[in-house]
Amino acid sequence: MSQSFIIRNEERGHDLIKSDGSRSSYIAGHPDGFVTRASSFNFHEYQGGRPGFGTIRVFGDEVFHGAGCGYNMHPHHNFAICAFVFGGELTHINTAGEGMVDRLRVGDYYVFSAGSGGKHSELSVTTEDMQAIYLWVLPEQLYLPPSYHRGHFDFRCRRNELVQLVGDADGALPIPQDLRVSRLIADKGRSFHYAPRTLGHGTYVFVREGKIRCFGSELGHRDSIGISSVDGFDIEIIDDDSDVLIVETVLVDEANIRKWESEHAGH
Amino acid sequence: MTDEPFKRLMCLGCGFSYDEALGLPEHGIAPGTRWEDIPADWVCPDCGTPKHLFEMIVVGYASGGADLARTA
Repeated sequence: MSQSFIIRNEERGHDLIKSDGSRSSYIAGHPDGFVTRASSFNFHEYQGGRPGFGTIRVFGDEVFHGAGCGYNMHPHHNFAICAFVFGGELTHINTAGEGMVDRLRVGDYYVFSAGSGGKHSELSVTTEDMQAIYLWVLPEQLYLPPSYHRGHFDFRCRRNELVQLVGDADGALPIPQDLRVSRLIADKGRSFHYAPRTLGHGTYVFVREGKIRCFGSELGHRDSIGISSVDGFDIEIIDDDSDVLIVETVLVDEANIRKWESEHAGH
Repeated sequence: MTDEPFKRLMCLGCGFSYDEALGLPEHGIAPGTRWEDIPADWVCPDCGTPKHLFEMIVVGYASGGADLARTA
């Protein structure tokens, strides 16, 4: 039986993390930088919503405000962390492999699999605010060798087309999980069919810009829907230049999520 | 003693993992220490996330991964 949940823009967790005081070692940009984060799923201080979906644990819609703002060097293990840049410039210093300094601009994205351990720092060094969506995914194995890959989505050439950015399609960035991330920028009146790989895969559809109809619901700016146990569904574009991220994940049997769902039946 | 299988847990703040079978000897937790026997005010040694924001996971190690986890 098909299942779905909707998270409206305003239902997400909202954090404003300043670069001073107790967070000054974590948040760069002192004295006037700050990060804003809208979390679809529970993360850090925000624990009032869903714990995740399938292998997804974090879906964070973030803005780094002010030149020099971001996250200072900090460690990770295991999580596969993706960032998709929508505005400004993200300077990413990363220890995976031989280590690197990367600069990501609009349309650029990375997959950093922290595996057995890595550190990174993410900074917006220009005066323009940096806008990105962060996706954290449980890995299929623990303590894998760390890896870093980066790619670019060319929104001028790939309009009105479901483009797989991360996963197993040609040209997509690899990720150590049964997961695919696609992006769709499309014109009003168009319709696209999305078919997850199997009934055991769920799909999280996030409307970054514009308005769509999906699985019986109208979804606007920063609204999202999670859909499971279906062969496929349509994404109908209502507003011009709608920009949609689609994350398909294997639905692992996670006790934490099952418990939350049973406690919030009908939510 | 219990014959319950050893559990693995992962920090939702940074991905650090705790494996009951391995413990964290470098952080003073002996191998075989059950999650419930770790104090409630314990925090992730890497990022400071509180104990209650760890999630039990059923994920295997990559080749050689358990040895790396022992000294993480």
